[in-house]
Amino acid sequence: MELIPTFDFKSFLTAPWIDGGWESSIWIVIMGILVNTACGLVGNFLVLRKMALVGDAISHSLLPGIAIVFLLSNSRSTGLMVAGALAAGLVTVWLIEFIHKKTRVKEDAALGVTFTTLFAIGVILISVFADHVDLDLECVLYGEIGFIYFDDSLPLIGIEVPWPVLQMAGALLLVTALLLLFYKELLVTSFDSGLATSLGIPVSWAHYGLMMVLSLVIVFSFESVGAILVIAMLIMPSVTSALLSERLPNILRLSVVFAALYSIGGLHLATWLDCSPAGAMVVCGFLLFCLVWLVSPRRGLILLWVKKLKARGQLESPSLP
Amino acid sequence: MSPETPLPLEIHDLTVAYHKKPVLYGIDLEVPAGNLIGILGPNGAGKSTLIKSIMGLVPSSSGWVKIFGKPYKKNAKRVGYVPQRESVDWDFPVNVMDVVLMGRFGHLGLFRRPGRKDKDIAMACLEKVNMAPYAQRQISNLSGGQQQRVFLARALAQESDLYFLDEPFSGVDAATESAIIKILKELRERGKTLIVVHHDLTTAKEYFDMLLLLNMRKVDFGPTEDVYTYEKLQKTYGGRLTILSEVVDTRRKRSSDLPIEK
Amino acid sequence: MIKRSRLCASLALGITSFLVLTGEIHAAKISEISDSHLIEQFVRFFSFKDPSVRYAVLGSLLLGTCCGLLGSFIVVRKLALMGDTLSHAVLPGVALGFLWTMTKDPWAIFIGATIAGLLGTVVVHWIHTTTHIKEDSAMGLVLSGFYAIGICLFTMIQRLPTGNKAGLDKFMFGQAAALGSDDLWMIAIVTAAAGFLILLLYKEFLVTSFDSQFASAIGLPANFIHYLLMLLLAFSVVIGLQAVGIVLISAMLITPAATAFLLTDRMHRMLLYASLFGMCSGLLGSFFSYLGNSLPTGPFMIISASMLFTLALLFGNRYGIIPRKLRHLNRTHRIQIENTLKAIYRIREKSHFKEEAVSIQQFGEQRNLPIIEAEKEVKRLIKERYVTLSKSNLDEFNQSQLIYLTPSGWKTACRIVRNHRLWELYLTESAQYEPDHVHDDAEEIEHILGEATVRELERRLDFPTVDPHGKLIPSIIDLGDGHKAN
Repeated sequence: MELIPTFDFKSFLTAPWIDGGWESSIWIVIMGILVNTACGLVGNFLVLRKMALVGDAISHSLLPGIAIVFLLSNSRSTGLMVAGALAAGLVTVWLIEFIHKKTRVKEDAALGVTFTTLFAIGVILISVFADHVDLDLECVLYGEIGFIYFDDSLPLIGIEVPWPVLQMAGALLLVTALLLLFYKELLVTSFDSGLATSLGIPVSWAHYGLMMVLSLVIVFSFESVGAILVIAMLIMPSVTSALLSERLPNILRLSVVFAALYSIGGLHLATWLDCSPAGAMVVCGFLLFCLVWLVSPRRGLILLWVKKLKARGQLESPSLP
Repeated sequence: MSPETPLPLEIHDLTVAYHKKPVLYGIDLEVPAGNLIGILGPNGAGKSTLIKSIMGLVPSSSGWVKIFGKPYKKNAKRVGYVPQRESVDWDFPVNVMDVVLMGRFGHLGLFRRPGRKDKDIAMACLEKVNMAPYAQRQISNLSGGQQQRVFLARALAQESDLYFLDEPFSGVDAATESAIIKILKELRERGKTLIVVHHDLTTAKEYFDMLLLLNMRKVDFGPTEDVYTYEKLQKTYGGRLTILSEVVDTRRKRSSDLPIEK
Repeated sequence: MIKRSRLCASLALGITSFLVLTGEIHAAKISEISDSHLIEQFVRFFSFKDPSVRYAVLGSLLLGTCCGLLGSFIVVRKLALMGDTLSHAVLPGVALGFLWTMTKDPWAIFIGATIAGLLGTVVVHWIHTTTHIKEDSAMGLVLSGFYAIGICLFTMIQRLPTGNKAGLDKFMFGQAAALGSDDLWMIAIVTAAAGFLILLLYKEFLVTSFDSQFASAIGLPANFIHYLLMLLLAFSVVIGLQAVGIVLISAMLITPAATAFLLTDRMHRMLLYASLFGMCSGLLGSFFSYLGNSLPTGPFMIISASMLFTLALLFGNRYGIIPRKLRHLNRTHRIQIENTLKAIYRIREKSHFKEEAVSIQQFGEQRNLPIIEAEKEVKRLIKERYVTLSKSNLDEFNQSQLIYLTPSGWKTACRIVRNHRLWELYLTESAQYEPDHVHDDAEEIEHILGEATVRELERRLDFPTVDPHGKLIPSIIDLGDGHKAN
């Protein structure tokens, strides 16, 4: 069996949708779109606040929260899982701030120490109590979006909708509603916390609120994409869109488009190469980013090179006083 | 100084650009030895960029720089540098002595460790800036003025002939400021050349022998009494100077109107 | 201090060489003995009879040293997250290295992973310099993008007939027990190279980390040192793959170094402490993972490192939270006692020092406290031997009980009152404060003025005898002998 199957454009396009696989494909794509959109929307605000890696930290440190909930309750109760995730998220943010503010350890090191510790606790819990925790390490590493439970579904207007998809849709609705509701507060606090304080907007509330929404999104995406790939879902749509537009509303809209593209492209890639669908979605996102980075009409690399060639030796005339 | 001795600093047509926008444009400069020189100009005029590009820390788009008649790399040992205080992390795990010893590293070259002689030189430099009692102190436990003194001591330990100082008086107490200027004047008496980025117009006149007025290009360079004129400063600072002087005037008036609290 | 450092270093060397030289080979795989007793396992592990244990321990110790040394520079250069990015970015290189030889050849994987890691850091640098994307986003992008490519390759390898048994998943969370002699050689070579280079170029690493512009200004190759460090960092990530795993190797770099940063103010000591902590966590981690049946090593190493970090965070002499809290409590306690003594002084002053004794009642009124509280404060003073009571029975606290200052109590009271009044005078005379504004400031300053400063104040104020409110300032003579001669 060879590693890379021969590339046939027609089968690349159609493979996921024939041979009776279309039903699971559709749910994978829908789940992917939901996860990518929810993450992408929240991720925009993370990138704006230069907190991209805090997203990484939280996605890692939710693991012990989820593992402990599984251990204690022995069930997959959604409410408990959300509670565990929110608690773990807040503990992470608090710990990072505590170490950074109370000691001389700098923020980057504080972040690194905190999330790796919590993640290590999570991994140990899962591997020591492997029989009691319904979560394996592969799922942590690259998610199980390909195995959506069909046995656990809900009939809705004549269609059997898998339960995880419903949950994710609910989470996306909630997140979108929250972001719309607090859009201007988030915008102001992200841009200029001093101004926000003077306007009477509670900056730390906005901060912790965003962190809670982030934890919420991550915990629902967790089983689909795992703890590490989720960082890509958070950052990539926002960063790629920011290369194409400079206004936040447009960037938000574009990130939704990219979220859908990742999901569909990823599925096709995964079917062709027969690899992890979540991984393939991120690879697709990374390729799209590279493409946009190359050809972006405003900040593209090609544009930069062309300008450099043209302007070799020439300088703009200085604006003298 | 005999005419065949090369000048401490010679700049020809130096242009520096960030993202194709020039920050410094066509700077020509010939600095005679044994002077205390101030660089004056508004914010964003490229004062720090000028000294950084002389030392090759910022790439230049055109022009050349000669230090004592040679390119900078060849004569780096003859140049001392005091960067802005904010440019380093003061929580770094070193003590005052370690920082001053760094001034000797250029003379040591690769691989060699500082020895007894270097430690003695560093200690002597610390004494000069009145920081000897603090030699074993961790650097985060210093005040702003003390930090600046440590940086000055490090530059002294370089035992150079030409010094660049980037805003050495910003955020220091009055005692430190006068101590620093005293040391700078002493160095000048010993024939060293000192080039200081400065932002305070009021003290510039008494501190420096020569001034370089800079605003992206060289506005003027010469002895202080020739250069420190209203027209030339006006030219350097553009319209801003008039606003500045007005503000200073009104503040003076207002403060004299106020009853002084006893 | 240097002696202690040498001792630690030679101890570490001793353990290492003991491990190398122990010749006896004991045939038993770790997984076969996981059912035996804890103490038995402890003995078995630390007698280093099993070759796999010896490999694991030796590898972990060396790895801990290497990570500690390089991690120290990473932490002080604030590149901690670059370490994390680099460690995730090596994954596709590991997969490609495997595909190259189709076996788990450590050298092929080493080369592939190093190239991928370095490529990752270069791409971060490119994104950062050619676009307006911030560095943290660029790191997140590369981290997850490269990692995803690796994951895809891995899942593809797993469906190959040879791939399933490859045990590549051990690279994720580490398995020190799986260290082979090739792995060990690699770890030893990289650690030796890192140690040697840092020793040789210590002053260059130091000055470029502290102030890289200054370093280039004095003609040192700052860029070269930076790339050398990045290369060593990539190497250390790669040698850590087998024992610690991709996901957590960055913590082996950051946590021991951050722990050392909490404990010392000098770079060379930080390097030493960090490598010692690295060794400890490596050893503990491989021991804990040995206890269970094929438990991953990486998380246990990180937990050990984090425990050390927590200990340093809580108990570290200089920056630890608890010692700082204790110092603060101590100070509050002392201030309280000094204020109590001052109150007694004031009471005696009211009677122009005619009355030697002060009653509990008077004291309570002066301090504005109920009798019970006043008694507590007096008890505290008795404990410090600053006062004695008229009736020797301590329990007999009542209205008639009188308090006498001991000589040391009197001295302290005088010192505090003198500090207070001198400071008030200084504020009014030299800083033009209003006399009714100076009291609160003096209440704080009186406890922290040193003797040298007080003498200086006296000299400047020309040895005053009266404070701004017209009260006498106790003089240096009062501090010398026992009682004021009035």
